[in-house]
Amino acid sequence: MTDFDAAIPEKEDRGSAPPSFAAKALTEATGLLRAPQRVFPLIQKLASDRVRTSFEQKHLYSFATTKRSSAVTLDLVFRWIFTAHRSDGGIAAYYSLLTGYSESYPEVTGYLVPTLYEYARVSGDDGAAVAAAERATNWLLSLQTPTGAFPGGLHGREQEPSVFNTGQILQGLVRAYRETKRPEVLASAIAAGDWLINTQQEDGSWSGPSAYQNAPHTYYSMVAWALAELSEQSTDHKYGAAAERNLDWVLSHFRPSGWVEGINLRGHPNYLHFIAYVLQGVLECGILRRRSDAVHAVAKPAWVLLRKFETNKYLPGAFDADFKNGPHFTCLTGNAQMSCVWLRLFEMTDDLRYLNAALKMNEMLKQMIPARGRPGIVGGVSGSYPIWGRYQPLRYISWGGKFFADSLMMEQRLTQSFETSALKELPCAS
Amino acid sequence: MRIVILSSSVYSETACALALRAAEAGHVPVGALALRTLDRGTVLRKLGQWGVRGVTHYARNKFLPHRRDGQSLVSNPYLETVLKHRDGVFRNLREVAAFHRFPVATCKNQNAPDSIARLKAWSPDLIIFTGGNILRKPLLEIPRLGVLNVHLGCLQEIRGMSAPEWSLLQNVPVGVTIHFMDEGIDTGPILQKYELPDAARSGSLSDLRNRLIAFGIDKIAEVIAGLDQGTIHAKPQSDLDRDNQFFVMHEWLQNQAARRLTMMRLPVDAAHG
Repeated sequence: MTDFDAAIPEKEDRGSAPPSFAAKALTEATGLLRAPQRVFPLIQKLASDRVRTSFEQKHLYSFATTKRSSAVTLDLVFRWIFTAHRSDGGIAAYYSLLTGYSESYPEVTGYLVPTLYEYARVSGDDGAAVAAAERATNWLLSLQTPTGAFPGGLHGREQEPSVFNTGQILQGLVRAYRETKRPEVLASAIAAGDWLINTQQEDGSWSGPSAYQNAPHTYYSMVAWALAELSEQSTDHKYGAAAERNLDWVLSHFRPSGWVEGINLRGHPNYLHFIAYVLQGVLECGILRRRSDAVHAVAKPAWVLLRKFETNKYLPGAFDADFKNGPHFTCLTGNAQMSCVWLRLFEMTDDLRYLNAALKMNEMLKQMIPARGRPGIVGGVSGSYPIWGRYQPLRYISWGGKFFADSLMMEQRLTQSFETSALKELPCAS
Repeated sequence: MRIVILSSSVYSETACALALRAAEAGHVPVGALALRTLDRGTVLRKLGQWGVRGVTHYARNKFLPHRRDGQSLVSNPYLETVLKHRDGVFRNLREVAAFHRFPVATCKNQNAPDSIARLKAWSPDLIIFTGGNILRKPLLEIPRLGVLNVHLGCLQEIRGMSAPEWSLLQNVPVGVTIHFMDEGIDTGPILQKYELPDAARSGSLSDLRNRLIAFGIDKIAEVIAGLDQGTIHAKPQSDLDRDNQFFVMHEWLQNQAARRLTMMRLPVDAAHG
């Protein structure tokens, strides 16, 4: 079985029965009939991944040498992102090898805003990234409902408010306000924050009709991170308090093995993408709220995954409980997110082993980015490797590009600061 | 003392030098067990570690007839003295074994039943590991005293891979630890720990690594003698709860380690005028 929509859970219909797998697959496949010119790139990608998976040999020294420049790859990834920017102002969720570009996706457009501003800063960009961020922000402002919530799903398909998407978009609004100081952006962020607080449960979680499958999820720690970001821009303490309420609830789901319960996606495996969401949200929220317990809690699962990656040079795309290996494919987005987590942990703890793992992970990911091909493919981050893997098969996804760009920019920042600072004593964290 | 040597290949310079040093100290090995030279895993690992040029250079020295162009025939120049033989050098374990009259066997996996049977037949007091597979319990239990490893870092601070490079970046003394192996990665009881004198004099990371290998081989002769006379005893590691395992270092960090080595060398060079 393949999960065509697994990474976009909020766009699945919450009331009626979702379309069957066969129906989804058929819809996707008919895309080729509408655009037969996509057949060649599809066959090419399938063949190249088949050859690569058959002959690729991993060993102790895999990914330990630089084969492709991070700066060049970063430009390639942004080329993909700019091309995916739709005329309505939003950024497409994905480019499918079967159906081409999807509609704009508010959630990812929102959390691509900070990435765009960051790229403008590190690349000395001529304004294209800032212009893209501003266009995306304006589009998002037009989508907000009077309650302050943002709709879930792809643009134009669903208008139901979504906690997760509102949180992700809030991240973009906060950054846009920091960059532009536009009062209407702050007002929009505050309205979103207020709506999130109003829908939060007493225990700190979010459930009910605005939560995916009506259930609470630990990966909503990403929402807590967004609220913590908002609290930095507001004198009102309630946003920080709400973020910490959720943080405490998520932390209660961390197990001594490092495993995190409560991802809670019915009908989907525990994709690395969602595990990494939990870790990123807790870590970033913990850093902003100066909660060392949160940083320590994340260090455990991050280390478990680091050991797995260093030992096997590979992270499975999904895990069974307690990090037991799942199906044999890798989720590139989850890999990029783990790189971000390791880099941040390096920053927090000075443990160079996190930096070492992130450098190697980025090396692995760089080798997966197509340097040539048609728009939608060149610079794209595929859902899975191999491309037919269970997570977002046959698609290049915008949130994959977002997290990989984040990790490359963080790598650049941290390696530059390491090089320029005098080499000093760097104690081990563990 | 009955000693057996485990090696990743019959062409391992480290294994050859170690066998020669042991023989020199009066302990001619009773056997050596090496992985097959064209073992896929080893070849891939070496390609990853040394690159195509490094592997080609190594193979040329090992397989082609001796050259007389004055170029070193040994990859690790610090082993040249011990490997010296007539007008050339010992180039593989078979040559060392023929000279000292001990058997050399090859295998696909050192933990495999036929390898275990062969090792048991040699009934060793001590096995010295210079490379190969991750050793499993049935093999570790064969020798009377244990399986020795020379780790190129100071335990307990640095376990695992790229130990010299990590030592530089972690501000841990650069040295070697001779220890008995257990099923963990560098977690077995420690026999001796030696700091490399004047580590900062190393010209590069590979020079440092070569010096450490030669230093460890020299020191292992002392440890064998100590074990033989009962004057050296192993001490279990106390810090096993702390995860001090390190992994293969990425090229970028290796450059930082090399920079650290250069910085360490500056005052030394200045002092030596």
